[in-house]
Amino acid sequence: MSTKIDLEQEGVEVRKSVCYFCHQNCGCLVYVKDGKIIHFEGDLDYPTNSGGLCCRGNVNLIHLDHEARVNFPLKRKGERGAGEWERITWEQAIDEIGAKLEEIREKHGAEAVATAGGTSRTDDWARRRFMNLYGSPNGFHNSHLCWIPTFMIETAIYGWSPFEIDLGLSKCIVLWGQNPAISTLPEQAGISALKKNGLKVIVIDPRFTETAAKADLWIPVKPGTDLALALAWINTIIYEGLADYEFVYEHCVGFDELTEHIEQYTPEWAEPITGVSADLIREGARMYATSKPGNIQWGVAIDQIGKPAGAAMHARAILRAITGNLDCPGADLLTGPSQEFITDEEMELNDMLPEEQRKKQLGSDKYKLVTWPGYGRIAEITKKYWGKAPTAEWMCEAHPPSVYNAILTGDPYPVKALLVSATNPINSYGESKKVLAALEAVDFLVTCDYWLTPTAMLSDYVLPMAGSFERPTITSTYGCSDFLMCSQRAIQPMYERKTDFEFWRDLGIRLGQKEYWPWETLEDAYFDRIKDLGYGVENYDEFVEYFRFHFPEREYYKYKERGGFATPSGKVEIYSSVLEELGYPPLPSYIPPAENPIDHPELAKEYPLVLTTGAGIMPFHHSEHFNIKELRFLRHEPHMEINPETAEEYGIKDGDWVWIETKRGRIKQKAHVTEGIAPGVVFTERGWWYPERDLRAPELGGCLESNTNVLTSTADEHCDPISGTWANRGLLCKVYKADGSDGKEAN
Amino acid sequence: MPRYAMVIDTRKCTGCQSCTVACRVHNKLPVDMIYNPVTTHGPVGKFPHVRMTHIPSLCMHCDVSPCVDACPTGASQQREDGIVWVEAEKCVGCKACVMACPYGARVSNHEEGTVQKCNFCKDDRVDQGKLPWCVQTCHQKARVFGDIEDENSEVFKLVNGSKNVGRLLEELGTEPFVYYLY
Repeated sequence: MSTKIDLEQEGVEVRKSVCYFCHQNCGCLVYVKDGKIIHFEGDLDYPTNSGGLCCRGNVNLIHLDHEARVNFPLKRKGERGAGEWERITWEQAIDEIGAKLEEIREKHGAEAVATAGGTSRTDDWARRRFMNLYGSPNGFHNSHLCWIPTFMIETAIYGWSPFEIDLGLSKCIVLWGQNPAISTLPEQAGISALKKNGLKVIVIDPRFTETAAKADLWIPVKPGTDLALALAWINTIIYEGLADYEFVYEHCVGFDELTEHIEQYTPEWAEPITGVSADLIREGARMYATSKPGNIQWGVAIDQIGKPAGAAMHARAILRAITGNLDCPGADLLTGPSQEFITDEEMELNDMLPEEQRKKQLGSDKYKLVTWPGYGRIAEITKKYWGKAPTAEWMCEAHPPSVYNAILTGDPYPVKALLVSATNPINSYGESKKVLAALEAVDFLVTCDYWLTPTAMLSDYVLPMAGSFERPTITSTYGCSDFLMCSQRAIQPMYERKTDFEFWRDLGIRLGQKEYWPWETLEDAYFDRIKDLGYGVENYDEFVEYFRFHFPEREYYKYKERGGFATPSGKVEIYSSVLEELGYPPLPSYIPPAENPIDHPELAKEYPLVLTTGAGIMPFHHSEHFNIKELRFLRHEPHMEINPETAEEYGIKDGDWVWIETKRGRIKQKAHVTEGIAPGVVFTERGWWYPERDLRAPELGGCLESNTNVLTSTADEHCDPISGTWANRGLLCKVYKADGSDGKEAN
Repeated sequence: MPRYAMVIDTRKCTGCQSCTVACRVHNKLPVDMIYNPVTTHGPVGKFPHVRMTHIPSLCMHCDVSPCVDACPTGASQQREDGIVWVEAEKCVGCKACVMACPYGARVSNHEEGTVQKCNFCKDDRVDQGKLPWCVQTCHQKARVFGDIEDENSEVFKLVNGSKNVGRLLEELGTEPFVYYLY
């Protein structure tokens, strides 16, 4: 069947756009005629994807005008969750939401309004700007689970986070809890190309992932024990004399304290904890320390292990420091923020949030690193050194579980409204049953989304959002990179969709913030950010048309020219004065996983298996795309992974539906019996709900039935005391066959 | 005259199935039809000593194509450049070709009542000087397409410059023009 389209016909314009389904933002060329998209393909000239598109990228046009998209503002008519909606105008929606927010601020204070966000596919500097002007410190994302605590610990230790890796010159890359072969495909292509030049690849993952299958070394660490592995690596490197002593003695503080502190953490000590032999631990440490320069690429795994997470991030940062793999050619680079364009943080108006409101940020009394106490201190240091601070939206947020608790208990104060943008908290945040209860309990719920998600179904208002190809995009790694990749919108939003920027702007203007929202369009705002780069362009679209990217010249050894690192001492602080100042251990000590058989023998009797959750699976992204049949055919149903030995012990066969249960609840997934996971370890897929089912309450698209977050824990005693990140991995569970009489719903 | 061929590098393929989706979406196939499935073998072995391979497949565009021979209506044809294709107007859906193809590369379109298959995206891609969708979409560049008669082409170089190159069911004598690197 020919699907030939005449792209040469008169009136066809080619727009330089990007896919917007994950923050890789792969380049696309979109062919537009009379305001309609007639064709698109991956942009062969785009530096990251070179024309490639993953499963999701291919369904852009199906997503764009899918029958289930929300296209008009909706106001709830019947009971919450009844699915009865009235179509209203944007003017009415903004006016009524604005009036409600005014009323809440008057009665309960601005802090009684919280906002929840999703992954970086929104212009959340606009959300932060709105919240700062409105006066609430209680914006949050799932950021704790994804890079943000890592960024802040690393910035505390060496002044920025090295997310930019100089892979072309590298000899070794450690993929620690990252599976680029499935989750960041352009990165995997780069790694695979460089393997020919001798790049060694170490994969640390409980699962034999698609990436592990192509690695030089696979280290199948037991879920949640990454800290023990990192400490044993440090021990090996120091006690085998593999450290970079010149770098350590010239540029670090605390190496002697570390040497003494780390003596106890031998590979033999780590072996029973991690399930990795002492020999393999040493082999990995030696490979990383001697194949120089080398990189440790960031992956979400350590962000998601809960209690030991902060210490594990610290230990991982120390590995870079003691091997001298920082800011030198081929290693992990400390670019700092852009000195040339206006960063996200500079768009946020953080100074507008009064000190007394900052103090009210939920969770900031307990978890200080990524809330105002830690962020404020780190921002002060980086401003002194770099002249700029990390993005506050992401790096300085209310602690999500504390917000849901405040909604449910009124403690420490009531939260009355939740504005949800680009996320489906029931499936994405920890302890789903609690999140669901909070969404049902909150007085006022507004959701901005593409779809009627289970969360949207419970909302008072649902606003239609512009997506891929309907919005311009600046890709800048959560606003923290020194480079920019810019893209055009291909078409104006279809139907009555708007960008999230317009939502926050309109709401801000309704609440008297007009003077702070000078830009009529997102392109105007973007242009303001880049106009001083010196490209001589008149507007944003023109910049994309002719330049598209701004990559500053790569500088190495910035600490030499700048007189040190962006830390209080100007050195790499292995012994961290910032953590110490915030009341945390200045050196990382071993902390066991949130739940484990040694500390919790009684619990382990009932729940004898170790659980890991949260890994990405193609073709879905977080809780998205389950409703797109051109993707769902690849995976109709959720699958958990279990080793044949363990499966046999519990009478489970490949393809059986099984219950996976933790102390928080149970979910149903299908067993995939595989040698790619250790005996005694269980993996569950994330995100699952069933858009094809009844979306109305109480069914809500089966949002609890197979939802891995029913199993995760957000209890204070399971959260990382430094950052507050909760436990998705390293939990205890049991598994048993589901029989026909089992109910659908999780209980 | 070119002779089109594809080289699939299984060392690069990660089994992401983007090629399968790209093919389905751009060729507007019904949900129960796939031209180019990716099969995952493994993990085989015993934990932690395991390995895993992904095998993408598609029509092999054989030189000695049993499907063309089996077709009673002349719908199944081969172009001079080697592309095997089905002329929908002539196809009566008898499935003789489905039976004849040893690679399982032909599928019935129940909506149209015809048999369809991969034709290297000849109309909207190859004849326009563009790459087949499954090739362009592959981030890992695990699928390489080109004219194997051209000594400067990547496919020629890969096939002739590698020891680890093979074809599926070569013993049947179908002379497939899809090569696998392993």
